Amino acid sequence: MYIKLILLLIFLSGICIFTSSCNRNKNKNNELLFWSSNNLQEIEFAQGMIEAWNATNSPHIRFQPVPEGQSSEEIILAAVVAKTTPDIYANMRQGDVEFYASSYALIPLDTLKGFLEFMYARCDSSVMDEIRSADGHTYQIPWKINPIIVLYNQDYYDELGVVDYPRTYSEYLSLAEKFKEDRDGDGYVDRWFGNTETTVLWYQRFFNFIPLYYAASGGAPLIKNNKAAFNNEAAVKVFTFLRTLYENQYFPIERLTARQDPFLYGDIATKWTGPWDVPYILKYKPDLNFNVHPMPVPDDYTGVSHTYADPKSIVIFKYSSDPQKAWNFLQQFLSTENDFKFFSLSQQFPRRKDLLTDSLFVNYLKENPRLARFAKQAKYSRGISDTPYMKEILALISQEYEACVVYGKKEPRQAIKDAAQAVDLLYLNLSNE
Amino acid sequence: MNSRHKTILPWLLLSPYIIHFLVFVAFPIIFSLVLTFNRWNIISPMEYIGLSNYSRILHDRLFWKAVGNTLVFLSIHIPLQIIVAITLAEILNQKIKLRPFFRGAFFLPVIVSGVVVSILWQQLLGFNTGIFNRMLTSIGLGRVGWLIDPNWAMPSIAIMATWKNVGLYIVLFLVGLQTVPKAYYEAADIEGATKWQKFWHITLPMINPTIFMVVILSTIGGFSLFIEPYVMTGGGPLNSTLSAVLYIYKQAFFYYHMGYAATLGLFFAMIILFVIVIQKKFIEK
Repeated sequence: MYIKLILLLIFLSGICIFTSSCNRNKNKNNELLFWSSNNLQEIEFAQGMIEAWNATNSPHIRFQPVPEGQSSEEIILAAVVAKTTPDIYANMRQGDVEFYASSYALIPLDTLKGFLEFMYARCDSSVMDEIRSADGHTYQIPWKINPIIVLYNQDYYDELGVVDYPRTYSEYLSLAEKFKEDRDGDGYVDRWFGNTETTVLWYQRFFNFIPLYYAASGGAPLIKNNKAAFNNEAAVKVFTFLRTLYENQYFPIERLTARQDPFLYGDIATKWTGPWDVPYILKYKPDLNFNVHPMPVPDDYTGVSHTYADPKSIVIFKYSSDPQKAWNFLQQFLSTENDFKFFSLSQQFPRRKDLLTDSLFVNYLKENPRLARFAKQAKYSRGISDTPYMKEILALISQEYEACVVYGKKEPRQAIKDAAQAVDLLYLNLSNE
Repeated sequence: MNSRHKTILPWLLLSPYIIHFLVFVAFPIIFSLVLTFNRWNIISPMEYIGLSNYSRILHDRLFWKAVGNTLVFLSIHIPLQIIVAITLAEILNQKIKLRPFFRGAFFLPVIVSGVVVSILWQQLLGFNTGIFNRMLTSIGLGRVGWLIDPNWAMPSIAIMATWKNVGLYIVLFLVGLQTVPKAYYEAADIEGATKWQKFWHITLPMINPTIFMVVILSTIGGFSLFIEPYVMTGGGPLNSTLSAVLYIYKQAFFYYHMGYAATLGLFFAMIILFVIVIQKKFIEK
């Protein structure tokens, strides 16, 4: 009897193993699997595009939004470990690509037929330089960007008598001084000029320090030749500016996440954010009178204000059954018509050099002046330096950011110097291990 | 039943536990020990780096800061928890009105999710709109930066953690109090002892094993401080609420330094063991 029981257990285990191996076989019927983000507009776009492709082309593409999890990044990591990745994933943060590339989880796309010709026709050479990995290969397709700029409440700006937007730090700070207010008379400011995250979470620097640093430095890189490249006057000026915002209570130190949206409900006048906030505001407060302008720059800066692009890329995983066919599909996915469909649906910007010249986009932007301002900024938007250690680097900068900017415990020059030394030390330790 | 079946049967009956032990206890422990000698980011092959992870701990300023923060938390949380739990248990051990209700009410936070409680307290402790600061300003006092002032953040979390966990320890102390023979109190009454003398000379010595258990449990629980700072402060301000477990979590799941995180975990487990041994020596006296 017990022998039979054991045999039954072995049989059931065999079925489980067989079933799981079948599940892994995503390449049945020679299909390629495509994962998009969970954003509703992106799902709508990808579904429509793939249906059209499958009607007349092969191989067929199977569409699926990235499975639910705490974060898409976590899901992708788990998929790589379990070797259950899709063939194509469209929404990888540009800064994460190097992590996977250096672990040999991605296909070097420049080895695929027709890749470089297509990409140089679509993107500026500066973008292609930006996404090239340390080993000389290109593992990502720069797909879309969301330039971080200043969203402002037009009614408040009108009250303050703003004719042109505040271009420099002085102009921005002067408006902030006029705007801050203690509305209930309890001795504490409860209306601030703006708000940005103060936590040391590494990715929060994408929405304050990095766009301001790019604006102040003309888009200079943070890291160059495995060394910190931000130990300069531009970074010191950014820290000084940010510190002034907190010292004078123009921005609140407290996180405002546990209450109603402070921009929608008039507790702040400006917000540093990307174009994804536009449909959000139109949905939840359609009567709010708002507009956008570039990030402020130091008083003595005369060039164009650059910013962080929050770029997202498309990658092909090495477990793909046919990377070349996956690339053939992606060429269609990235056509001008499809880019425009995606743009008009999601209001996220395709990363292409003809955004301001192609008639499809130009006409649409004429009808949507707010987006036109984002689009102008798109040309001067930068991604992040390609390094697998970007999280650690931003965490080190965040430590100094909190000490200097938020709590005023360090002088800006010293904080920037310490952050740069910590980053150099990180690279030194990694090279010695 | 033949002899072969007799040999298989015990193993078969034990197999659920053995399988569970091998898969969920033995393997993770051995694997994490192996990890301490390697660099591994989950997706790349492991790379042997000898004792580098161990030497890195010695120079890791932030880890020692996190250990210090955890000790600060424990030094506030454990005494506060024991005093509050004994006091409430003593009250709930008396014949008071609505006793079952109060016993249930004090236990309620224990069964509520830590994340929910943390979010709730985050709002209560808010600088601008939190109820505590509104109460302070309504009586003419200044606001306190409960979660944004580096000097206040960890004590705030300790108070909140005490509120969350004290119900469990009240139950334990109630059990302890009910095991004290009534004859001792009767004898003390005849001798004319005061309430305080009875508590100090009878109750406390008699519930010493419970106190020991509560200290050990709350020490281990306190060392694993994670949800509260993760949700409420993210480890800030100025790393003042960065607990050791939160730091280990960040190393493992933010930066994918699995080898180093395993080393930190092992090292931290040794610290906990050391503290527990010392506590055992002193409390059992």
